[in-house]
Amino acid sequence: MMNVLRGMDKILLLALAGLAALGMATLYAAVYQGEISLWYKQGVIWGGGLLLMLGICFVPLRFFGLISWPMYLLALLLLLAIPLLGEVHMGARRWLNLGLFYMQPSELMKWALTFLLAHWFASREANNWFNLGVATALTVLPAALIVIQPDLGTTLVLMFSATAMLIAAGLRWRVFAAAVALAVAMVPVLWHYMHDYQKQRVLTFLDPQSDPLGAGYHVIQSTIAIGSGGLFGKGYLQGTQARLHFLPEQHTDFIFSVLAEEGGLLAVTLLFALYSVLIFRMIAIASTASSRFGSMLCIGIASIFILYITVNVGMVSGLLPVVGVPLPFISYGGSALITMLAALGLVLRVGIESSGRIPWQRPGSPLA
Amino acid sequence: MRAELKVRHRFNFRILVFYAATLLFFSILLAHMVDMQLFKHDQYLLQSDRNRINVVPVLPERGVITDVEGRGLALNRVAYQVLMIPERVEHVQQTLQQLAAMLEWSDQKIDALVRRIGRSRPDRPVLLADKLQWPQVSPLAARLHHFPGIDVQASTYRYYPYGRLTSHLIGYISLATPKDLEQGYLANEFVGRAGVERAFEARLHGTPGSQQEEVDVHGRRVAVLKRTPPQMGENIRLSLDIDLQQAASEALGERTGAVVVMDVHTGKLLVLLSKPGYDTNRFITGLEYARWSAWLEDPRKPLVNRTIQAAYPPASTFKLLTSLAALRNHIPLATGKAYCPGYLSLADRKLRCWRRQGHGHVSMHDAIVQSCDVYFYELGDQLGMPGLGDEAQRWGFGQKTGIVLSPEVRGNIPGITTPPRKRWRRGITMISSIGQGAVTATPLQVARFAAAIANGGTLFEPEVDADAASRIVRRIEVDDMQLKRIRQAMHDVTATPKGTAYYRMRGLPWSVAGKTGTAQVVAMAQGDNRARVPEYDLHKDHAWFMGYAPFENPQIAFAVFVEHGGHGGSAAGPVAAAVIRALAEKQAAKQAERAP
Repeated sequence: MMNVLRGMDKILLLALAGLAALGMATLYAAVYQGEISLWYKQGVIWGGGLLLMLGICFVPLRFFGLISWPMYLLALLLLLAIPLLGEVHMGARRWLNLGLFYMQPSELMKWALTFLLAHWFASREANNWFNLGVATALTVLPAALIVIQPDLGTTLVLMFSATAMLIAAGLRWRVFAAAVALAVAMVPVLWHYMHDYQKQRVLTFLDPQSDPLGAGYHVIQSTIAIGSGGLFGKGYLQGTQARLHFLPEQHTDFIFSVLAEEGGLLAVTLLFALYSVLIFRMIAIASTASSRFGSMLCIGIASIFILYITVNVGMVSGLLPVVGVPLPFISYGGSALITMLAALGLVLRVGIESSGRIPWQRPGSPLA
Repeated sequence: MRAELKVRHRFNFRILVFYAATLLFFSILLAHMVDMQLFKHDQYLLQSDRNRINVVPVLPERGVITDVEGRGLALNRVAYQVLMIPERVEHVQQTLQQLAAMLEWSDQKIDALVRRIGRSRPDRPVLLADKLQWPQVSPLAARLHHFPGIDVQASTYRYYPYGRLTSHLIGYISLATPKDLEQGYLANEFVGRAGVERAFEARLHGTPGSQQEEVDVHGRRVAVLKRTPPQMGENIRLSLDIDLQQAASEALGERTGAVVVMDVHTGKLLVLLSKPGYDTNRFITGLEYARWSAWLEDPRKPLVNRTIQAAYPPASTFKLLTSLAALRNHIPLATGKAYCPGYLSLADRKLRCWRRQGHGHVSMHDAIVQSCDVYFYELGDQLGMPGLGDEAQRWGFGQKTGIVLSPEVRGNIPGITTPPRKRWRRGITMISSIGQGAVTATPLQVARFAAAIANGGTLFEPEVDADAASRIVRRIEVDDMQLKRIRQAMHDVTATPKGTAYYRMRGLPWSVAGKTGTAQVVAMAQGDNRARVPEYDLHKDHAWFMGYAPFENPQIAFAVFVEHGGHGGSAAGPVAAAVIRALAEKQAAKQAERAP
């Protein structure tokens, strides 16, 4: 017990604590005028998520390797069930009604694929065509099912983390370059198959002023909030864009603009610093992991975090099209926060197992 | 073993790549943030201010119009409005019932309000009641905290204390029209439409201020950030004396007509009355169509300002002008005598004198005092139309006086306002000589004429602003001795028993110089089906009385016109007498006040 706790990466936990504080403070600023109950709810979710994270620290990594195939197959099955049983929300068929709650199989698939690719490359290199081909097939199959839902954001996450893991697994740069070239060539084809609202998002992204009261409104208002924050910000709870409700979705996807408006560049830099520490530690844990499965897992998870952060900040600041992606640890949202804390638990577990503090993992131990 | 080492090396290298990639991603994001928050900060800050700051105009208070002694003729009254923002009211119906109990609304009014609220935007204030006085709203104002979404606001509205007594002079205001908006008026501003309100619009109006308000995304005001107060319009003091206006109005009674009183030394108007008047307050509270069309259809034409907007034959008052023309042109008859048998034969026609039995041998003085027509037929005949027209023009007839009020008509002088002829028919010249036929003048022109006689030939641009400098149109060159003859004759009109106004002007504190006039009305066709109005007999003559007082030391000149009033001396004289008496008594009272 104590060994597990001592084996946890302290720097990573410190960064997480910083993010938790910054996140709760920002969320308060976003909701204090209205649904203050969301803030308490998020506090409870933080508590639950941290407990889950702690729990996962006690689960041997091998377990996740073992469940990777069944989990993947289950997720694939649910994805296939969507066209038949799924429910439509906001123009996309993503949700399955499981009686007690709704779930998005694509969320499950994100983690299942990460586990499976980590498992697949735990004993293989991505430098032969068979290994590479299987991995590509394992990725493209769910990605295709998700993109037709349509859910561009999750598809991107899937492709991005798979690519990162392939690189970690020794993908040749030549092959990588060729794949990127192919992807670029595919853009017009993809455009053809995109839904109108997705095309609209891309077009609005290219010129937000073209539709200032419609789709471009969110981005215009959030960029105004960010830019008007300046170096020191307008002061905590003093953001006019936030306080006067010009910001859309200011407690979920657009919460970054509240932080940037009220805290200015200083708060933004602090947030980026905390994220950098978090990601760097994940990569560091990956580099010293005692198992390739653990390394792969860390790389996959780190890449998902990077993508979330980049896409979210990029979209609210007008750098990227609007894709519904939360800002890790800052945005309001129960399932996203719990999932991310669980993922962090996995990374911590990888670190614990390579710290040499756990008896059965020590070199020479019969369980190794 | 070597292969494994190679894999290990490659993996370590790729880890470095991941570090670098992470750094790259965050660098791009950070660079973008620096660009937005440092380099483009000002531009975004401007946009955020534009988002939240609404500049709302604050309307100025309109200048107040007073008479010469500062008594209010057009004032701003505070009134209260009750407003509701529907979305902030929980039970609209119930709230309305409670308000109805306090403000004494009928059930129909509640129903109408419910419908209006249903049609309105829920986040914008709906006007429930307007123009309430404080005693009416105070019970509500005291309990306002029990009524979320209900507000009581003070506003001002124009009030004309003297209503129809000053209607034509003061005029009225109404809400800006689309045309006014093009001129830069704001949508809820009022604009002067008639009388002084219109003529002095630029001065009365003032300059709107503005208020910077912080608004939320729905446009609701959250706070007031900055306020530039509006500049109130200029107050205007008129030369009008409301006491005299009142005296004139009372003397006219229900009759139709006009009274003008002018200061002979300044051209300022002390009285400018046209009757019947109309209650200008009706325009402010919202004029009903029925009222408006009643005014339009009234045969007495209450909307016409008879002092400047209508011209009538000046009748015998014009004989003074004929006399002046004859004297200036040295017409022999002007210094001689004519015989009046009661008529003058011209070819196969007989031009009658008003006195059937005739006046016998009359000089110019006798002819003016007794208003003999035959003398002036002959005088005019010798003078000729061009000489008469020229003189009329010199004394300001046939042209607008230039008063700031509008619309003004110029009247008619044959050969001046109509094309001149080489030869005038003698009958036309003769009829014009006694101010009948085609000759017409406004009461203001006649009053100004009287003023010019009194002050020795100074023709003023009539002025209503007490604090403005007098403007002189021209100084008429006139022989002093000739003018004295006319003045003496005018004096004897009221001072000698033979004078046409003797009986009406007796017992006045001041001696009066005047001239009566009785304009014949072309006989109406029988069975005229125009509505009959009391005190307005279409078959009766128009009555005039003009002149100045006191005779020895002139202060005021006046013109009284009574439409279909009958004989000049008896119908118009008493009105002038009433005004003169009111003024004389006022001055006496002031002197008595000063004396001890």
